[in-house]
This record gives sequence, C-alpha cells and structure tokens, in this order.
Amino acid sequence: MPAEIEVYQVSYSFGPKIALDNVTFRLDSPFFCVVMGPNGAGKTTMLKLMLGLLKPKEGYIRIFGHDVVKETSIIRKNVGYVPQVVNIDYHVPVTVEEVVAMGALSKDIPPRILTKSIKKKVEEVLEIVGLEDSSSLFTELSGGQRQRALIARALISEPKLLLLDEPYSMLDFDMKCEIAELLYRLHKEKGIDVFLVAHELSPCIHLEPTVILLNKRVYAVGKAGEVLRLENLKRAYPGLTEVPAGFILGEDHA
Amino acid sequence: MLELLTLTYMLAVAGGVLVGAISLPLVLSRSTLFALTMTHSVLGGAILGIYLNAVFNLGVPVPMVATLTALTLSILAAELSERIFSEDVAIALTVTIATTITIIFSYLTIQVSSTGLSEAWLYVAGTSAIATVGDLTKMMTAAIIVAPLIHLISRELKYIAFDRDGATAMGLNVRVYRYLFFSLSALATSTLASTLGVLATHVLLAVPGAVAIRFGKKGSLTVSYAAAVILALTGYLTAQLLGIPPSGGIGLVSGAVILGLVIRHERR
Repeated sequence: MPAEIEVYQVSYSFGPKIALDNVTFRLDSPFFCVVMGPNGAGKTTMLKLMLGLLKPKEGYIRIFGHDVVKETSIIRKNVGYVPQVVNIDYHVPVTVEEVVAMGALSKDIPPRILTKSIKKKVEEVLEIVGLEDSSSLFTELSGGQRQRALIARALISEPKLLLLDEPYSMLDFDMKCEIAELLYRLHKEKGIDVFLVAHELSPCIHLEPTVILLNKRVYAVGKAGEVLRLENLKRAYPGLTEVPAGFILGEDHA
Repeated sequence: MLELLTLTYMLAVAGGVLVGAISLPLVLSRSTLFALTMTHSVLGGAILGIYLNAVFNLGVPVPMVATLTALTLSILAAELSERIFSEDVAIALTVTIATTITIIFSYLTIQVSSTGLSEAWLYVAGTSAIATVGDLTKMMTAAIIVAPLIHLISRELKYIAFDRDGATAMGLNVRVYRYLFFSLSALATSTLASTLGVLATHVLLAVPGAVAIRFGKKGSLTVSYAAAVILALTGYLTAQLLGIPPSGGIGLVSGAVILGLVIRHERR
C-alpha cells in the first residue's frame, strides 16, 4: 500500500544556496505531524515541493501514491493548503465568505459563481472552525480568526490531508493552543491527516504529534519523546549549546 | 457642434467604462506600474508604425502597430516575471525596451518624415479634443472586449492578488490569468492612449481603482466604473471650460480627487 506521504532523496536549491539536501521520510495515515527546524531550514520549501509549487532538483515526492510533479491536479484535489499569514496581501478587500468559497470554486471551471449550495457549505465549514460572520472583511479579523478562515478555506474541498505553513505564527500562546486543538479535532473526528510546519511544538506537545526535525536534512523522525533528544536538537539547531530544564521547545525559545 | 460634443462625451463615457474595468484589478494586484509601462510601449509602437509606413509605404494602421507592440511587450513582461525576475525588474526591462524603440525610431522617423513626430505626439497629448466616430468605435470595441472578460475573471484576479501561492495550490492556473489580464490591460491602455493620449491614460489608470478601495468596502467594480466615468466626464468638461486638452482636464480633476482622498484619510 502506498504511503500517504513519501519523500525520497529530495534535494532543492535556490541558485547556489541549498534549501534541502537528500531529504527522505515516509508517513503512513493516520498522522498528525509537525515539521520543526530553525529559520532557513527548508520547512516552507518542503511544503511548496509537496504542493507542486516547486519541482525537486533530485528525488521525488509522492502523496497517496501520486507524483506531485506529474500528477499535480490529483494531489490538489485531495490536499488542503493553509499558507503563512505573512504571505497574504491584506491590502486586498476580500470577505471571509469569498476567501472560504474560493476553496470550493477553484475546483470548478469559470465562470465561478457563488451559488446557494456553496454559500451553505461556507457556513458549514465556518461553524466547524468556530467562525460566525462570513460577511466580515478578512482584514477585520483577529490573527486567530484569520487562521481559522484559512483553515476553513482548506476544509471546504473536503481534503484527506492538510498542509499548513506556520499556523501558529503571530498568535498569542492561548490562540496557538486553540488552533492546535482545532487541527487535532479535525484529525480525530474527520480523519484528516495533518502535516504542519512550525517553529514551536509547545502548543501541541500534549497531542503527541509525530515530529520531523529538519534543517536542510532530516535529523530525526518519530514521536516527540523520541525525537526531541538533546543530541538530535544540537544537530538540527547548531547554535544550541544547552537545554534548560522544562524548556518550551521551539526556535523562539531554543 | 452639438454632434461633436455628444461624440466627445460619449467617448469619455466609453473610456470611463474601459478604465473602470481594468483600474481596480490593476490596483489590487499592484500592477499599476505595469499598465503605465504599457503606455510607453504604445508610444514606441506608434512611432515604429509611423516609421514603417513612411519608409516602406505599408499603409498599416498605426494604432494596430501600437497595440501589437503593447501586447507583445505585455506578454514579455508577464513571461519575464513568471520565469526569471521579480515583477518590478521585469517591468523595468520592458520599459527599457519600449523607450529604446521610441528613441531609435523617433530619430529615424525625423530623417524620413517631416510630420512623423507630430503624428506621434498625438499619442502623448491625445486626439480626443476632436473626437471622431472612429475614436468612439475603437473605444467601444475595446470596452466590449475588455469589460466582460475582466468581469468573468475578476473573482480569480482578486483571489490571486490576495494569496498567489494559495490560489496556485488550489488549482487556479495563475499563469494563464496573469497573461490574460496583462493582455487585456495592454489592449485597454493602447486604446486609451491612442484616443485620450498617453498622459491622460497615465492619470486615469490608478485613480478609479484607488477610489473603489477607499469608498467601496469590498473594492467594488461598480464603484470603479462610476469613478472612472465621472472622472472622464468631469475631466472633459473642465478641459472644455478652461480651453485646454482633455488630458489636462482629466489630470486636474484626478489631482483634486487624490487630494480629496488624502484629506479624508487625514481627518479620520
């Protein structure tokens, strides 16, 4: 049976700068996985490669047994993507309803009309993520609400897998925990596998995620307790010299 | 006289519709600079057309050469920014090419035609002070092509401007939308420049979109249309009252609108 995510000897570079070097790992469903690593570790590049937004220089990535470069359309039907909020252009006046609906409309052919059935679906997914007012402008939402709206956008197409880029960024700790709980609930109740990139593990440490320690290469894969050992952390975070007792894992704190 | 005035104001309305359609997506996608680049391409294309007609006696309509040049350079800009450079660098390179064409063929045109440069100057100042049925037909044809197509893809354009990577990941063909939008912008800019003039087109392109974002909560295209039509009409009227070219009138009214937006923003 094909692995849900199979990354095999993948390398990628931006010109002479190596972003990923011979990365290999495999995840079988069900999983709730967090990719951790310092700034410039290649975490976002990894996500973009998985989405087919970038093409590996070497190696291959298969999701549900499909090659992400050759069978991009199949991948995109089954995968929901939640971008980093810093990559969103807040200057564009777009409502929550428009944002979420595009998750469904993008699967149609033009003209993409907001029908009653899509509006109903929008309301349904907004209820799942705990948002009420679909007529609000995206820019008027708080950080946590924005993240929920983006998750709703990914959910509306009923994906089997969610890929999230820094879903905890620019949120306070309580909000980070709420988002982590929401994702875990989706994983448990809806059977959606979650693959997220984060600087911090602490908001979801109690959810016992699978952790991939990445810094251009994969340094460890496994349950948090196995992976987050001092020897692994020192290799993935070269600046780390000692780990204070009871520290909160994550680059911001390392 | 009445007929001429009617024709002139109809031209202003048609121009307003054309500008209203492209201005908002241009502002939302931060591509106003690109559209302004197209005015340089139109000028370069016009001078190239005048030169070719003068030397080879081809009898090719100059606006057609200007439009084709603008379309070619718009596709080049889209391709460069998709493949190699950031959008501003791609635009800068395209402007360089357009300006080089303008300079070289201006020099060559002077050698072969005594009226060539003054003909080209009409592209800068505009011909619409004496609007013709031909101008109106051209403007309406462009509006009929551009406005419905922009409406058809406006949701996608807005969405790509909001989150380009997300749009791609969801399956939108961002590259095709970009090419289509750049081509429509080039067509609109070329038509506007050959009737209202390059200077008026410069002024008109950004203001309606900016007004739509400021006054329409969701950046409504209707507000963009309304702003563009009112701007064009009042610009023409101002020009007529002051006895200046239409581009001057549009420039004055646009300046007043921008000033109004700034004052409104400061008072908030």
